[in-house]
Amino acid sequence: MLSRSWRHLCRRYSQAATFRTAELSPAQHNEKQEGLFYTLNPDLCKQLFGHGGLPKSFKQQTKTFTETAIMVRQPALDLINCIRSSDMSQPAIRYVLYGEKGTGKSITMAHLLHYAHEEGFLIVHVPWVSEWLRRLPRHKEMVNSPTREGFVDLPIDAAAWLIHFKSQNQTLLKSNDLKISKEYVWSKREKTEEGSPLSALVEHGITRVKYACDVIDALIDEIKILSNNKQCKTFVAIDGFNSFFYPLTRLNTPTKRKVTPEEVSLTTTFLKLTTNDWTNGAIVVSADQLAVPDANQESHFPRYLLYKKGFEHLDPFVPIKVGRYSDKEFLSCAEYYRDRLWLRGPPEMETELKFTSACNPYRFMEQCAPL
Amino acid sequence: MSLFIRNYKLNSLAAGYNAKLWRLNSTTADSALKKNDEDEEEFRVLDILKKKDRIQRRIIRRTDMQPDRADRMAPNQNWGNVWPGPKTFHPSSVPLPLRQGYVPKGQAPPGKKANAELMKIPNFLHLTPPVIKSQCEAIKQYCTEWPSLLNSEEAIEKHYPVEIITSDYCHASPSIRNPLARIVTLRIKLSSLNLDKHSKDKFIRLVGDRYDKETDLVTITADRCPARAQNLDYVNYLLTACYHEAWNIEEWEKDKTEDDMEYYDWNNNASKKSLVNWHLRTKNELRTLTDEEYKSFDISVIEGGEEYKNAVSSLMNDGESDATLKKYGEAVRKVLGLPEKKVM
Repeated sequence: MLSRSWRHLCRRYSQAATFRTAELSPAQHNEKQEGLFYTLNPDLCKQLFGHGGLPKSFKQQTKTFTETAIMVRQPALDLINCIRSSDMSQPAIRYVLYGEKGTGKSITMAHLLHYAHEEGFLIVHVPWVSEWLRRLPRHKEMVNSPTREGFVDLPIDAAAWLIHFKSQNQTLLKSNDLKISKEYVWSKREKTEEGSPLSALVEHGITRVKYACDVIDALIDEIKILSNNKQCKTFVAIDGFNSFFYPLTRLNTPTKRKVTPEEVSLTTTFLKLTTNDWTNGAIVVSADQLAVPDANQESHFPRYLLYKKGFEHLDPFVPIKVGRYSDKEFLSCAEYYRDRLWLRGPPEMETELKFTSACNPYRFMEQCAPL
Repeated sequence: MSLFIRNYKLNSLAAGYNAKLWRLNSTTADSALKKNDEDEEEFRVLDILKKKDRIQRRIIRRTDMQPDRADRMAPNQNWGNVWPGPKTFHPSSVPLPLRQGYVPKGQAPPGKKANAELMKIPNFLHLTPPVIKSQCEAIKQYCTEWPSLLNSEEAIEKHYPVEIITSDYCHASPSIRNPLARIVTLRIKLSSLNLDKHSKDKFIRLVGDRYDKETDLVTITADRCPARAQNLDYVNYLLTACYHEAWNIEEWEKDKTEDDMEYYDWNNNASKKSLVNWHLRTKNELRTLTDEEYKSFDISVIEGGEEYKNAVSSLMNDGESDATLKKYGEAVRKVLGLPEKKVM
């Protein structure tokens, strides 16, 4: 019994293995660490991804493995390299992550968010756009916008996002350096003064859920102004961005009319953020097949998923392909799974799994589950 | 008994007389009495079913039937005369030891006589190679020589660009007509038509899915008329009408917008606008331009602009693939001044 628990303990802390890197800061990652896993600090993980950001299956896996380990992969390194070498005084550059289902677009984005956090970016992160437009839980609340004619507000979703924003940018918001540029009047008695900190605006949105969508709109405007004034640098990450351009959402108005994405006030807000009319920022969006219904998943390429409108909105963007595992990455991952006892059995199994999973990271993980 | 005693007393009477007396009692007993005269020792058998009478004698009829025709055929006969046309199998006409039919394993299939299986299947006994040869020889006198200049597929295609496809059907049923024979298909290479840029585009739009981009073939099929000749006229009419309509330029064709374009022209599209806007923004001289100014903006001032233009055009025109997208990514990186992707 003792020897068994000792063995387990050894496994849990097998940090000296060949598939791990001791380099825990994404800013320091380079080609040497490619294909190796690094572990996220649990507190930081909670701060960054506590309110979404990691896919559900990956989250389950982190629970099983009792750690959040992310593989350093080429697309993330490429993107970090691009962000580092881009001129921040130039208009913000749009990067589009694309790739087949389950190849790790969201994990790459998580890696980049960690990088942005390390580098002191103000993070504007939408974990999954379809959560707003395509998922219909029972408590989904939808009201006609009081301020903008013909628009639809999603106040609860907006407030939840503000909490996410607040949690991700705790340190930056606490310092109160970021001030808002103009006065916002919400109602007769409620207003946010000019020069009050950004956190006040966020707090208002969280406490007064009714105004959450308008608060986000104001917040985005303020962030753009602050970035332009070089008071902060901003990192925008939107997962499942192509949902904004799919012709229909699953939302219905009380009169049973279908709502298009353009009629949702959050859409206009985030489309405003992803234009390149502001500087001192980087915009990473992902085009994901899973964000649209099955009938429209014919191809994983961005032009198809974003439609003409989305392509023209983002153009010129840098396409970043997130592909399947390379040989090196696959072996490293298999070793990691063996270390976590997720994969057991004879070593020949890896060749077979490589074939059956076609080096698709998600499928590999799934196929290892019963082994 | 009293009578017997009386007879007995009259001793002089003969036995025959005695018999006469018995007849008074039973007639059948009389015949039995006769038999008894011959073999009185045997028992008589009561034949209830009368088996002996029912047995029929097998009649062996001697006939003067001729041997089978198939057996009498000469091996050097002209088979074409024996079996001149398509007909159902007949065992006596075919001098072949044919067997056909399903039997349990180990047994031989039934022979050709009275074999329905052989009669069910169609046969080609009328189309033996010598028969075909002789028939071809016979119709050769009606044929003309193949034109010597049409010696290759290309030459045929050049001089006879229109291809008409019809089907003939052969029947052994009372009617020789088949409704499918009326269908006429016309095929022509689009490049063999005399069309310019506009009319070619219009022609393709008019024929719709009848044009195959990969083989460059236009296929028009007509089956709406009852006779083949009518359908043939109709496909010819359709081709002529589409051709001349393609050359017409209607008033409303001037309203063609960017969405109606058959190909992606980068200069007229939003992609150029966004590139120009980005360029002006980097130079801090953003101003609102009219559509005409956007179109005529010289992209050679933007570094890598030309390459970007080609990349977007190929992405839109050739469709998305890893290759076109990679080219696009490289072009964008060059324009935005980003480092190139490292190949590992």
